Amino acid sequence: MKDADLERMLRQSLASAAEPEEPLNQSIIHQITERSRMRTNYKKRLFIGLFVAIFVLIAGASAYAATQLFTAKQVAEHLGDPQLAEAFESEEAIRINAAKDSGDYRFTLLGIVSGVDLSISRHSSEDVYPNRTYAVVSIARRDGQPMPDVPDPEFGKVPFFVSPLVKGLKPWQVNIASMNGGFSEDVIDGVMYRIISLDEVEIFADRGVYLAISSGSPFYSNDAFRYDEATGEIHAREDYPGASVLFDLPLDAAKADPAKADAYVEALSNPTSDSAEQEEQEEQEEDWVQWIERLRAQVRAGELIGETIAESVQEVSYDESGDIEYSYNGWNVSRPIDQLFKKDQVGYSDYFPISGDDESYKAVLFHRDDNGIITGRVVVLSRECPGLC
Amino acid sequence: MEPDELIELVRQHGKSIYAFCYRLTGNKADTDDLYQETFLKAVELRHKMDASRNPKAYLLSIAIRLNRNHRRKFAWRQRIVPTSELDAATGAGTFDSLASEATPEDAVLSLELRSMVQDAANRLGDKLKLPLYLYYTADMAVEEIASALGIPAGTVKSRLHTARKLMRQALEVESP
Repeated sequence: MKDADLERMLRQSLASAAEPEEPLNQSIIHQITERSRMRTNYKKRLFIGLFVAIFVLIAGASAYAATQLFTAKQVAEHLGDPQLAEAFESEEAIRINAAKDSGDYRFTLLGIVSGVDLSISRHSSEDVYPNRTYAVVSIARRDGQPMPDVPDPEFGKVPFFVSPLVKGLKPWQVNIASMNGGFSEDVIDGVMYRIISLDEVEIFADRGVYLAISSGSPFYSNDAFRYDEATGEIHAREDYPGASVLFDLPLDAAKADPAKADAYVEALSNPTSDSAEQEEQEEQEEDWVQWIERLRAQVRAGELIGETIAESVQEVSYDESGDIEYSYNGWNVSRPIDQLFKKDQVGYSDYFPISGDDESYKAVLFHRDDNGIITGRVVVLSRECPGLC
Repeated sequence: MEPDELIELVRQHGKSIYAFCYRLTGNKADTDDLYQETFLKAVELRHKMDASRNPKAYLLSIAIRLNRNHRRKFAWRQRIVPTSELDAATGAGTFDSLASEATPEDAVLSLELRSMVQDAANRLGDKLKLPLYLYYTADMAVEEIASALGIPAGTVKSRLHTARKLMRQALEVESP
């Protein structure tokens, strides 16, 4: 086989026609916008999960139609998830429109739907728990003022916690954050809408499930709710200075699965080594990133990192396009100068390729002197490769 | 890097990053997952990203790390679905460069051959497979691959050379 034939075969075979679908890109773009404005250090899983529950209108709650609000389907459409929008229109979905006032806000539970593969946003926990629940709530100010819009610096200054809670289970242990939950939200016409998603809650139907909303923190707060150890009931605290409400979610008890529910709670209480391993890997990754950042900071501060291999110190050459070229013992670096140095910058560039294995690490450093002469050098870094590098 | 710039990267490089993720995972559902996670991870790391310093390579390196983590975590995504089946599922004619100029018989032969090439590539270890996919699937230059993998360009060239050699051997053995 000729080289050219092999090359052509590889190009044609390994090129992929697979493309991201537009709704997926839209979802990502929306999530980039959402996450970029988050100021807190949430764990990723807080933002990704779902929950399964089937709601029934609550007796005794001040439920009323909120016709001026968007429907759950419209909210899902607006947030770029047509698949979920369709699910909210299905027979499985429960349209609720129950509202409660607390503090400065009126909270409306618009709808809920549960099932498998309902959303274009897939959570990795679906490998283990394929059933998910999605619920939509709206939050509006009672004084008629609009909620701060997304670009408004005031947006997010009052955080909200929105989560199912299960009767008989400690709410600080079992809530959206621990149940692979997440949310996306937007402000439309002065009303904030939030879609939450998490692992299935329907399995708890025989115990009783609430939907809790509180202001002041994105996490569950004992200041906002009270758990009665004796009865397992959860109550919104009337003396809480912010907003705090509970909607009862009368699920279809026939869909409860006590065995599955017990196993789920057990898994929450005793995380597997998988999650421990993931945590460790995340820490290693962060460790690695921090290590690189520390090296960069040292270089920016004028310190020479690592131990220079003397014979590697060479003045760089330039190719036809003016890019610098440096070669030493298998290292071949070719870069535009402006990627290495800012205008008139002298000293070491904080851009440096690093390579290594489990034994040691090396980097190529570039230095520009007052006369504009650029030299490259290979340095042996003093630290072993951390974690995932 | 600002969120707007990150969103621009979705538009600008989304296709080749998705294609690369597809080669790594071998099926659409996992590709969607990995592709999405790659950009969401980039949101977390965006303050470390610089639009002038090859963000595409940075995104691909994130995808590689995430995929490696997933594999470690679940021994996951090892269900290598035959890619010919997947390509067929994405719609006839998607391999337009071949489909447009081949007879139906040629197309069938080409599909078999492509499947053979893809299987052979899949059997390579990560050291050789990743540069191969970055080069042929993500359309990266050697320097960019070096940046994405954090290895010298010379090493990339050497790995590509070895990968091509092994692919040639595999195909010459397997070809009818």
